[in-house]
Amino acid sequence: MRLLQVSLRSMLLYALVLVLVSIPVSLFSIREIINEEVDESLALHADQFARHIKNYEYLDDLDLDLRIWDQLSYDIVLEPSKGELTDKQYKTGSMYDSLEQEMHPFRALSLPVVIKGKPYLLTVYHSLVDNDELITALLIVQAILILLLVSGLLLLNRALSKKLWEPFYSTLEQLKAYELDKNETISTQKTNITEFDDLNKTVGHLTERNRQVFLQQKEFIENASHELQTPISIFQSKLDNLMQIQGLTEAGAATILDLEEAAQRMARLNKNLLLLSKIDNDQFNHAEEIDLSKLAEGLLSNLRPMADLDVISIESSFAPLSIKANLTLIEVLLTNLFHNAIRHTTPNGKVVVEIVDRKLIVSNTGNPLKMNPDKMFDRFSREGNGENSSGLGLAIVKKICDTSSFGLDYSFHSGIHTFSVLF
Amino acid sequence: MKLLIIEDEKQLVKSMAQFLRQEGYVCEIAYTASEANEKILLFDYDCILLDISLPDGNGLKILEKLREKNKADGVIMITAKNSLDDRVKGLNLGADDYLPKPFFMPELNARISAVVRRKRFDGNNKIAFQEITVDLLAKTVMVSDTEVELTRKEYDLLIFLLANKNRVVSKNAIAEHLSGDDAELLDKFDFIYSHMKNLKKKLTEAGCEDYIKTVYGLGYKLTT
Repeated sequence: MRLLQVSLRSMLLYALVLVLVSIPVSLFSIREIINEEVDESLALHADQFARHIKNYEYLDDLDLDLRIWDQLSYDIVLEPSKGELTDKQYKTGSMYDSLEQEMHPFRALSLPVVIKGKPYLLTVYHSLVDNDELITALLIVQAILILLLVSGLLLLNRALSKKLWEPFYSTLEQLKAYELDKNETISTQKTNITEFDDLNKTVGHLTERNRQVFLQQKEFIENASHELQTPISIFQSKLDNLMQIQGLTEAGAATILDLEEAAQRMARLNKNLLLLSKIDNDQFNHAEEIDLSKLAEGLLSNLRPMADLDVISIESSFAPLSIKANLTLIEVLLTNLFHNAIRHTTPNGKVVVEIVDRKLIVSNTGNPLKMNPDKMFDRFSREGNGENSSGLGLAIVKKICDTSSFGLDYSFHSGIHTFSVLF
Repeated sequence: MKLLIIEDEKQLVKSMAQFLRQEGYVCEIAYTASEANEKILLFDYDCILLDISLPDGNGLKILEKLREKNKADGVIMITAKNSLDDRVKGLNLGADDYLPKPFFMPELNARISAVVRRKRFDGNNKIAFQEITVDLLAKTVMVSDTEVELTRKEYDLLIFLLANKNRVVSKNAIAEHLSGDDAELLDKFDFIYSHMKNLKKKLTEAGCEDYIKTVYGLGYKLTT
């Protein structure tokens, strides 16, 4: 759930509770106020009427006049009483309105008055607003209020999340797409929100520092490999000088050969490390049209004599395939795959190289893997003792496929290892 | 024959010079670009071994200068950075060959011989050793008056041994020379052994004395 939705939800919930509570509260208080007003006006009305009647006490037949008047008047009743009531009395009731044909609530005040020494009971009526109508009106008003509140908040929220949070989401998108080994920096836009600017600054700082460290490390690997070439050269040249010494013993010769082999392994390792960092540094960016079938056939024919020594047969079937890529990288890719296949084929085995559609398939007979196939493409992971393997061949294959967006797959079925590259 | 080694790494220069002097070359040494510039102006060399990365400048600049002065010296670039860019630039500037570090001395020797031969004998390019004569242009091998049919690998092997005659050449150096990167697949050297066996057989069958000696397990030596 998005942050804005969370805050919106609480806000909406609060507003809803408030509105719902406000309905009975306002209903109650409005009625109270109306009742009070009505009572006051009733009392005033009754007092004024009683005082007004007193002015006519000099009339002889007032008694009769009052009776006629009482019959004519609508909201005031004045009738003789026996003096049961001594003080003001309010009462609420309802009566039938024949005009509108419905019941109407009313409020009445009864007051004992004495006219010409005779006790009378004066009752003044006041019609009340219908409670049901009041509640209905209130509910409608509140419902409209809720509707406006919710839609307003939702619209506001949408506009806010689009505008206000836009820099945040843009930073987030960039972070998601960020890859350390791609040469990209995160570009943020200036906002007026302190938090976002802080976040952007921190993110920019962090990624830039990571990138710097990464670049330095890459540079270090490349420099270290370069620097090692010269001492290895010196080492090899000194060994060559040693070989020329007259009267070299057999044991001495064997030691020199071992040393030379070690030096050569070092040189190969170094060469492969250098190759890896060069691919990382995108130094093979020149692409050209390559006839893959022809290239593969050429490389295989160089390997056939060596495969023959271990009685490994090489079969190939190539459909014509031409791709646009860097020649050096493709050569390395093919060579490493072929070397790997030949190296891990048991004597009297078979290596099959095929090109079908846009796929190169290299398979060889061999023993099941002892290592985890997931680790196969890691640097320095070797199958067996790997005396002649740098442990970098397949790592380079993987790296080339990754940087050139080729699909690379490995599978093992009934004694056959299969690597396939989809161009 | 006179060589100039332009290389800032003293130990490497020392063993290169020692090796090349044994081969009968006169070696001069320049440790810096400025020394090298001075020397190439004053003298002519049969072959210049040029390290591209020097402390006081890029070796490619020296190559440019050499071509400006219309000097015909053969140039072999030597570099620790095995970069395609440098190689293409160097070869375009007229370098004759390119050798990435680390390299085997016999390989260096074979490359120098090839460059020197190309510069010295235009058209008539032959190597002779006792009764063996190799015509490098026609790629034919004669023992006395009999022509020997060799495969490409056997031919390459013979040329390599001839360039390094009277020296022990290790199996590793031969393997690398014959099959480049594929050499890492050769664990038992059976490969070299079979080519060597065939070469020796073909030569002796043509009436040639067996000059190729095995030196313990180390390698081979072509000697009288």
